[in-house]
Amino acid sequence: MKKFWLFSVVGRALVVIFCVITAVFFLIRMVPGDPAKMILGEYSTPEALESMHHALGLDLSVGEQYVRFVQTLFTQGDTGNSIINGTSTRELIADRAPITLLLIGMACALAIVIALVLATLAATHKDKLLDHVIRIFPTVTLGMPIFWVGILLILLLSVRLHWFPVGGVGEGWWGTLYSLTLPAITVALSQIPTLVRSLRAQMLEVLESDFVITLKAARLPSRVILFKHVLRNAALPTLILLGVNISYLIGGTLVVEQVFGIKGIGSLLFSSISKRDFPVIQGIALYCAVSVVIISLLIEILTRWLDPRTKGNP
Amino acid sequence: MSQFKLSARKSLWVGALAVLLLVIVSGCSGSKNDPAPNTAAQPGSSQGTDDKSTDETVAGGTFVYGRPASVTSFDLHNQITSNNAFAIDKVFESLVAFDSKGEIVDWLAKSHNISDDGLTYTFVLRDGLKFSNGSDVTAEDAVFSLERHLKVGGPLAISAKVDTVKATDSQTLVITLKEPYTPFISELSNFSNGIIPNNFGGVTEEEFFKKPVGTGPFVVEQWDPAGDVTFTKNTHYWQEGKPSVDKLVYKLIEDDSQAINQLKAGEVNAIESLALQNANEIKNGADTTVVTNGSWVTEQVFFNTLDKHFSDVHVRRALALALDRDGLTKALTFGYAQTANSLLPTTIPYNANDTIKALNFDVTAAKAELAKSAFPDGFTTKLLVASGNSTRAQEAQIIQAAGKQIGINIEIESIELATFRERFFAYDFAVMLNSGQADSPEANSIIAFQTDPDGFSKSYWTHYTNDEVTKLLYQGQKTADGDGRAEIYSKLLQTLADEVPYLPLYYPDILIGARSSVDGLVVLPNGSVRFEDVHIQK
Repeated sequence: MKKFWLFSVVGRALVVIFCVITAVFFLIRMVPGDPAKMILGEYSTPEALESMHHALGLDLSVGEQYVRFVQTLFTQGDTGNSIINGTSTRELIADRAPITLLLIGMACALAIVIALVLATLAATHKDKLLDHVIRIFPTVTLGMPIFWVGILLILLLSVRLHWFPVGGVGEGWWGTLYSLTLPAITVALSQIPTLVRSLRAQMLEVLESDFVITLKAARLPSRVILFKHVLRNAALPTLILLGVNISYLIGGTLVVEQVFGIKGIGSLLFSSISKRDFPVIQGIALYCAVSVVIISLLIEILTRWLDPRTKGNP
Repeated sequence: MSQFKLSARKSLWVGALAVLLLVIVSGCSGSKNDPAPNTAAQPGSSQGTDDKSTDETVAGGTFVYGRPASVTSFDLHNQITSNNAFAIDKVFESLVAFDSKGEIVDWLAKSHNISDDGLTYTFVLRDGLKFSNGSDVTAEDAVFSLERHLKVGGPLAISAKVDTVKATDSQTLVITLKEPYTPFISELSNFSNGIIPNNFGGVTEEEFFKKPVGTGPFVVEQWDPAGDVTFTKNTHYWQEGKPSVDKLVYKLIEDDSQAINQLKAGEVNAIESLALQNANEIKNGADTTVVTNGSWVTEQVFFNTLDKHFSDVHVRRALALALDRDGLTKALTFGYAQTANSLLPTTIPYNANDTIKALNFDVTAAKAELAKSAFPDGFTTKLLVASGNSTRAQEAQIIQAAGKQIGINIEIESIELATFRERFFAYDFAVMLNSGQADSPEANSIIAFQTDPDGFSKSYWTHYTNDEVTKLLYQGQKTADGDGRAEIYSKLLQTLADEVPYLPLYYPDILIGARSSVDGLVVLPNGSVRFEDVHIQK
């Protein structure tokens, strides 16, 4: 029974991934724009275009291209070579992925730390001024577009105060972390509101639960109760929420990369779309879908493992 | 109300701990006042031997140039787009070149001679000319290069009917044509006619263009086709003491506002293609400036002459008369453009901009003109514009308002660039906003592209066909430079101004945003920049 559940979940994940990249395959081909023209330029001759179409396999019907795409996916394990520069999609993505992953990691870490502080302060000062101020903060930040926040931070902290580089990635690990700070804050700001809300609610619930009252009766120091018992119990649902939000987080990171001129997956995606570099767009869609599905899967497994009540209804 | 409370002191402690964690995670502790660590992007980060010099300007160092698109190929015969062209022209050079005024000058050739019948072109190469790998440049290399270009054709093909390309000795090259073609010498100044080593210097074509060897001032050191290019100085460059900088970095910055911010913060030394609306902000900036030059570009409204409304010459003339081009230019270009009267920018000879009688703003005349058309009561049409260009978006609105005055209801259709291109290539538009640009300082360059209905661009996809104009086009190509040629183009341009298959709006300047500490940028009228003389002040 348990094994069957895992199979069905993994199978479902595979179907989702395949649907996503198939949808991307057809959608991007429905959008006008010719990769051959992107390579040769506006003034290319029809002969040059024709031979380029043939070289790129774009003279085939969409159906034939799809069959070829599926074949490549199964034989090569990726979506083929980039139309624009011939490099394999996997290589291109592998080249760009570390910086994007680092950015996502930093943003997550920042979001968790800030959310933890704000939620703890809010929960421990329930209905006080501090609580109200902290509860207004999410409403304000949720209303601001993420790229706009990025631009504001650049104008203030980089252009005016020169505290951070305006864009790009610095040299060495220290330079890299330093130059990613502002983008990470920008991405984190988009995640903090929901995390604070969830964490505050969870903490209040735990704080008012019977076992905390018992612990307090046992005269345990409030610091110990808060960090050892309350946070531990309240943190898990919030971490799960962060996992559920992973697609927003990835999406937000890709946009923020563009604003900060970071050459990660996001900027690769944007330039590939403008050049109609089909295999690369599909490749990025594939890897993003896989990451989102895997994380969702892990969360599902984790939730089930931690909370036996969900076992009955997979 | 919660019965559980942290004391103020404890919450402060929690907050401090969290801030400390944040600082560790973000890695910005104690470095707030340090300069940005990406030293490659610091202007004036001199690396040359003259570092100790106390002069205001120093040789050496790295020049970082922000560009909106990456370099995807160095194959000079297969490329035309500026992202590649302006990198190719740093590596390869032609026999003749054009200067910042658009005049043809001898370049790799120390002299050139055109026979009186216009059929024989003789070039003598400079003495001691070397490729960046140290090998000598001979006339055989030039023969190989031009023959390859003739074979490949490519988007910037040689239009002259070339009979033979021969090396008569190691320094002399003779090209004979089957029939006279006056624009030939200026076409040879294109980057696409750069000289490459005979037989690609013994490597395969593919390998060669991955690590190209040319005579240009710079050599490709590192190249990411989806990112930056780093060039180093060509130590064998024929212009002694040049280039002044040791390295030139083409830094990919796709976002406009990111590029401007990096310029303001000093992370790049200059940026390409500064938008008109940002020009004054950069010009008046404390540490920034604008370097400009006239361009070979004409901003235009294009009419699809296959469209049911715009096939009518009176409709086209009516819209031209209804539009205040002077006002539009003043309002939108911040003084960085000149109102256009003819198809040719004033930077190109034979433009006849002063003598052409263009259809100037006159609403009464516009109404009278529309009354003569098949649609005297007006009609509804669509104006196609590529999105993402705010100047064009504003132009579209002004044109829309102009149409409204005479009863032409213009709906603006703003679509993404790649789709926009597809649409106009397929004649799927009624009116569109776009620009035309010459590739060389030659009247024929734009005229052939925009008036030849049988050419591959089909009169710039307007399908404008006028036998008299086509005849003049061919005459212009065969007539030697002089008054006769001027007369031909003046006649041709006047016909275009009367029939308005496209309406020239203005000639925009080329704008390069630069740090004030930068000296010696030479902006060419095609939008490329020469970096040979660039110095960065300390």
